[in-house]
Amino acid sequence: MVPLENYLALSAILFSLGVYGVLARRNAVLILMSVELMLNAVSINFVAFAVYLDPGKITGAIFAVFVITVAAAEVGLALAIVIRLFRNRATSNVDEAAIMKW
Amino acid sequence: MGAEQAWLLAAVPAGMFVVLSFFGRYLPRKGDFLGVLAIGTSFVLFFFVLYDFLHTGETHWPIVKDIKWSNIGDFRLRMGIFVDQITIVMFGVVTTVSLMVNIFSVGYMKGEARYWWFFAVLQLFAASMLMLVMADNLLLLYISWELVGVCSFLLIGFYWEKRSATEAAKKAFITTRIGDVGLLIGIILLWKATGTFNIQGIIHQAQAGEIGHTYLFVTMCFVFLGAMGKSAQVPFHVWLPDAMEGPTPVSALIHAATMVVAGVYLVARLLPLFEVADGTLVIVTIVGLVTALLSGFMALTQTDIKKVLAYSTVGQLGFMFVALGSGNPSAAMFHLTTHAFFKALLFLAAGSVIIGTHHNQEMDKLGGLWKKLPITGTTFLVGSLALAGVVPLAGFWSKDEVLHASRSWDGGWALIILGFAAIVTAFYSTRLFVRTFLGKPNDEHVYEQTRETGLAMTLPLVFLAILSVVSGLVIFHGVGRAIGFPGGITEFVFLDQPERYHVDWGLAGGSFVIATVGIFFGAWVYWGGSLARSTRMAEFQPGVYTMLQHKFYFDELYQGVVDRGVLGFSYIVSWFDRYVVNDTGVDGSAQMTGYTGFLLKYLQTGKVPNYAMAIALGVVLLAVAGLVTRG
Repeated sequence: MVPLENYLALSAILFSLGVYGVLARRNAVLILMSVELMLNAVSINFVAFAVYLDPGKITGAIFAVFVITVAAAEVGLALAIVIRLFRNRATSNVDEAAIMKW
Repeated sequence: MGAEQAWLLAAVPAGMFVVLSFFGRYLPRKGDFLGVLAIGTSFVLFFFVLYDFLHTGETHWPIVKDIKWSNIGDFRLRMGIFVDQITIVMFGVVTTVSLMVNIFSVGYMKGEARYWWFFAVLQLFAASMLMLVMADNLLLLYISWELVGVCSFLLIGFYWEKRSATEAAKKAFITTRIGDVGLLIGIILLWKATGTFNIQGIIHQAQAGEIGHTYLFVTMCFVFLGAMGKSAQVPFHVWLPDAMEGPTPVSALIHAATMVVAGVYLVARLLPLFEVADGTLVIVTIVGLVTALLSGFMALTQTDIKKVLAYSTVGQLGFMFVALGSGNPSAAMFHLTTHAFFKALLFLAAGSVIIGTHHNQEMDKLGGLWKKLPITGTTFLVGSLALAGVVPLAGFWSKDEVLHASRSWDGGWALIILGFAAIVTAFYSTRLFVRTFLGKPNDEHVYEQTRETGLAMTLPLVFLAILSVVSGLVIFHGVGRAIGFPGGITEFVFLDQPERYHVDWGLAGGSFVIATVGIFFGAWVYWGGSLARSTRMAEFQPGVYTMLQHKFYFDELYQGVVDRGVLGFSYIVSWFDRYVVNDTGVDGSAQMTGYTGFLLKYLQTGKVPNYAMAIALGVVLLAVAGLVTRG
């Protein structure tokens, strides 16, 4: 059986990649993809802990399914916003959508 | 009706106040007859109470009846009435004088604006005073005390279109309020020491020595402050002469029955406490003596007939306080009663003069009115003689009792000062009468248009004149018994030491000499309405005359204190408010918020990656901090 640490390491690497993507990328679509990576990292944590701490139950798996559902809804909404942004400004670069300031 | 229902005496006029103040203006005659009827009912009820009281038997005195008012925690507040001899005497004085004033007002106030309101407040005035004298606890007493103050404010400022009237009303209210604060502090201190508001309960505990000596002394000084304010004793006397701005019947009521005697009543009621608190009686006596003397001098130079009477009231109240300070409440109550009758008479007669001469009250405009105003003149003469203390009028006997009481002070200094004050009193009452009614008219025009006043005004005058003549005679025990009292009125008031009260013929002789000297001197100076002699006297010592004219500069002193002290202090306070509270505190905090915002707004770039970076850095920071603190 694969030890828990391996899952946690994978999850940490995935999460850090996601954070890097969110911080480094300027394209809104790529940022959304990075956010998905972070969510998946969390889901892996859920499932891994569920199996190791309480093998008889599927609580962690249910949470993972919920996270996937919410992520799908979120991406749907976010992509709609990105499309509106692109229609208005002919760009999907978030740096250029900076009118919400003082 | 039994004496337990004595609260009806106050309830009837109080109810009529409500009726008159709401519906008075729509009633026929504006409801004046209802006012007379209400106070007349109280007057009749007084006799029922008196009859019941006399037939209850001495062993059942005093009559007490109270109800549960409210429970606050463990504290049970009961309110009720306490009817003893002092209360009965006050009932008699208040109802009699109020009834006379009400009848007189029908004539005096005819055609005035707010006629119905005048009668409404008169009812409330009488009701609060009646409640004051039968309250069995200090809280109820204080409520009535303030109600009396409010009524005096309303009535002194009755002609509020006149600036001087509103000023006088404010002055009366504020001056008495200074004393009232003292009374309130005193009541709270007494409650703190004894845990009760009940007057008899407090007296019992104090006599049992349960209240600390210094504590009680300070407390009673505060209480006496209230009495001084209400009874216009030096240095709180300044409001009373100004209160002459009110309609004349109100002056009669305030001076005789309802307002100023409240202080005398309070001290008489709490006298056992004053006796326990060593040293307070000396203060009471000295205040009374100073007041009696100073007010006499101040009355000398007044030319307004009502102001002369006002100062004479201040002086007579000083006499009463001397009697109280000498530990002789019966003499004080006796003088209070006779004074109420003859002072009400004098004021109402002065009102009759004012109406008869079509609103002239300066002596320089009057003079020689004797023939024009026979009834007013005669009754005024009776009142003046009673005030001067001429045998056998009421003022003579009661003043004699006060002088007798003041002898209890070693060395006779109180007696000498009082005797001198009595001479001055006789002098200025003679001056008042001579300059108003005798000699030649000073103003022919005023003299020509003068007419005797109507029946509504002369009838109370005659009734009060009769009382001013005979009410002093009850000092003789035989007279008292003949009209149903167990003894004379002095025995009726204070049964515990009846042997103390008797006519001292030696002192009476001296008092007779005093009155005669004062009157003859006054007559010698002012006879025939000539001012030649008095002018010579004024020019002999111009400094003294100016000082008297300025009433010992009390008003100027207070004005100065207000101008310098109060205004100076408010200047500092306003500076503090403007620069510290407003500029630094209120505006300062707003400016600081604005400036901080000005600096911090650059953090809001509107760029999503910046925010994301901030969040990520925050998470890292928190994680590091968590690791460090966890160890």
